[in-house]
Amino acid sequence: MVQLFKRVVPGIIVLLFCLVVFPLTLSAAEAGEYIAIRKEGSGNIALVLDKLDANGKKESRFAQSLDTIMHDGLDFTKIFSLISPPLNVKDFSDKKNPVINFGALTSVGAEVYAGGSLTRKSGMINLDMKVYDASGSKLLLSKTYTGREEGLRSIGHAFCADLVELLTGKKSVFGSKIVFISNRTGFKEIYECDFDGFGVEPLTNLKSISMNPALSPDGKHLAFISFAPGRPTLCIKNLADGKIASVSKSGVSIDPGWRSNSEVAATLSLEGNQEIYLVNTDGSLSKRVTNNKSIDISPTFSPDGTKMAFVSSRNGLPQIFIQDIQSGLVKRLTFSGRYNTQPSWSPLGDKIAYTTWEKNGEINIFVINADGSGLMQLTQKSRENKSPSFSPDGEMIVYTSNRQGKEKVYVMSSKGGNERLLLQGDDVQTQPSWSLFR
Amino acid sequence: MKRNSIIVLALMVTAGCSSKSAVTPETATTSQAPSTLVPPSSPTGYGFDQWQTGPLGDVFFEYDSSTLSAEGQEQLKQNGIYLESNAVKKALVEGHCDERGTSEYNLALGDRRAVSAKEFLVRFGVSASRLETVSFGEERPFATGHDEEAWAKNRRAHFVLK
Repeated sequence: MVQLFKRVVPGIIVLLFCLVVFPLTLSAAEAGEYIAIRKEGSGNIALVLDKLDANGKKESRFAQSLDTIMHDGLDFTKIFSLISPPLNVKDFSDKKNPVINFGALTSVGAEVYAGGSLTRKSGMINLDMKVYDASGSKLLLSKTYTGREEGLRSIGHAFCADLVELLTGKKSVFGSKIVFISNRTGFKEIYECDFDGFGVEPLTNLKSISMNPALSPDGKHLAFISFAPGRPTLCIKNLADGKIASVSKSGVSIDPGWRSNSEVAATLSLEGNQEIYLVNTDGSLSKRVTNNKSIDISPTFSPDGTKMAFVSSRNGLPQIFIQDIQSGLVKRLTFSGRYNTQPSWSPLGDKIAYTTWEKNGEINIFVINADGSGLMQLTQKSRENKSPSFSPDGEMIVYTSNRQGKEKVYVMSSKGGNERLLLQGDDVQTQPSWSLFR
Repeated sequence: MKRNSIIVLALMVTAGCSSKSAVTPETATTSQAPSTLVPPSSPTGYGFDQWQTGPLGDVFFEYDSSTLSAEGQEQLKQNGIYLESNAVKKALVEGHCDERGTSEYNLALGDRRAVSAKEFLVRFGVSASRLETVSFGEERPFATGHDEEAWAKNRRAHFVLK
C-alpha cells in the first residue's frame, strides 16, 4: 500500500496518509468470521458498488472517474458479480445523512454493499468508503483514501485492494505490475504496465534484443537477458538509479528467475557447459546450482526459496524437474507431454504452471501441484499459449497467445477460464512476468 | 572406430595439421572419406547458400539436436583446414534454431549447436582461443518461412570470420 502511494504522492503525503488517515476497519475476529462464511459458498461475491456522492462540478467529474476505476478494477479480478445499484438503494429523506436501504439490496441478491463520497481539499482528493454486509447491515469497513487528483487510479485501487483482502482474506493484484517484451520500436525492449494493462511504460532502450524480464520480489531490481553486449547476457537493472549490472563472464546467459531480493538464478554457459547459477544483484556469481551435461534452464523458486523448479533435457526431451537447493536432490515433476518448458511457481507455493508443446503443434498451459499431483490443462484449441506467470495472489496467470494472429499478452484465471486480451496494439508482445510487490 | 581414427589422422597429416590434436571426435560416425581437402575458390554445396558465401561453411542440424551429421563434420573439417592455413584469423560460431518450441529452450539449444561445432574444430586442432561462440536461439532466423524447408535452413551453426 505504501509502496503504491509512493508512486503517486510526495513523501509528506505518504506520512500524512499513514498518520492521519487511520483506517476504521472492523476487528480481525469479525473479518475472519466473514471470510469463513464466504469460503463455504463458492462462486462470486454479489456486490453492489454504489455511485459516489459528490458536491460540485469538479468533484462530480472525479467521482464519476473513480466509479469507473473501481468498477473496472473489481470486475478485472473476476471475484465479484457486480450488481447495478437499485434505484432506491439510498433514502435521501434526511439530505445530510442518506440512509442505505438494505431491504432493496437483499431483494436484488446483493451480499455486500460498497459506497461512499468524494471531497476535495487543496488539490487533494478524499475518498470516504464504507462497506456493509448487505444481509446483516453490518459495517465491515470504513476508511478514507487520500491522494492527488492525477492519482485517481491509485486511490480507487487502494480501496479495491482493501475490499478484496477483507472479503477473501488474501492480498490482491491491485498495485502489482507486469513486465513484458514488445517490438513496437522495431527492437525487442522491456515494458512495464499495471496489472490490468494500463499505463505501459518502457523500461529499456537498448536497441537490441531483450528477453525474459523478471522483477525482484521487492520490485527494486529488474533481471533480463540482453543481446546488446553482442551475446545474450544476464543484466540486473537497479530501478532506483537506472544502473545496470551484468555478468561479465564469457558465454551465454538464459532466462533468469529470482530466488530472493538479493539472488537471481540463471543459466550461464561458462566454457561451453550450461549450468544454473545463483547470481548477486551486482552481477557476481554466488553459487552453482546444477551440475549436468544436458540443458538446464528456466529456474523458478518456491516462495521460501528452498526448492527450484527448472527445465532439463537430462532424460532426452525437455521436462520440468524440482531440485532441493540445500541437499541438491532432484526429482522429475512432469511425465505427461513430450516437450515441457517455461515453469512458473505460484507465489502461494502449491502449484507450478508450465507449457507443453503438443503433437498437434499447439502449445498449451498446464498447472500441476508441486508434489506432481493434480495436473490440469488451462488452454486448448487456441494455437500457441506461452510464458505463464502467476499473479501475486496466485489467482490469475498472465501469458501470451497468438490465437488472433500476432503473439499478445493475455490473462486468465489460474484455474482456467476468463481468458482475455490484456494489451491492445499492433506490436508483438512476449514473455510477460507478473511482479510480487504491491 | 579405429578405422575412423586412422582416416582422420591420415587426413590431418595430409592437410598439414598438427598431429597433437589428432583425436577422434566422439561424435564422428562417418566412414566416408572426403573427396577433396581443398575448399573450392567459390564455395558451393552443403555449407553454403545465400546467407553463407564463405570462406567458412555453415553446419546444419536435425530438430532438437546439436549432434553433428556426417556432412556437418565434413564441412567442419574444411573450415578447420581453412583456419589452420590462415592462422591469424578468428571465427565467431553462431548457434541458431528454428522458430518452433519455446525461445528460452531454443537459446540453450543454439548454444549447444555452436559449442558442438567449436569443440569439433578444437579436437581437429584449431586453437580454442580463435573460436568464439554465441547463441541467437530463434531470434534471428535466416529463412522467413514457416515450413520444414525454412526450419531446416534455420537450424545451423553459422560461421563469421573476424
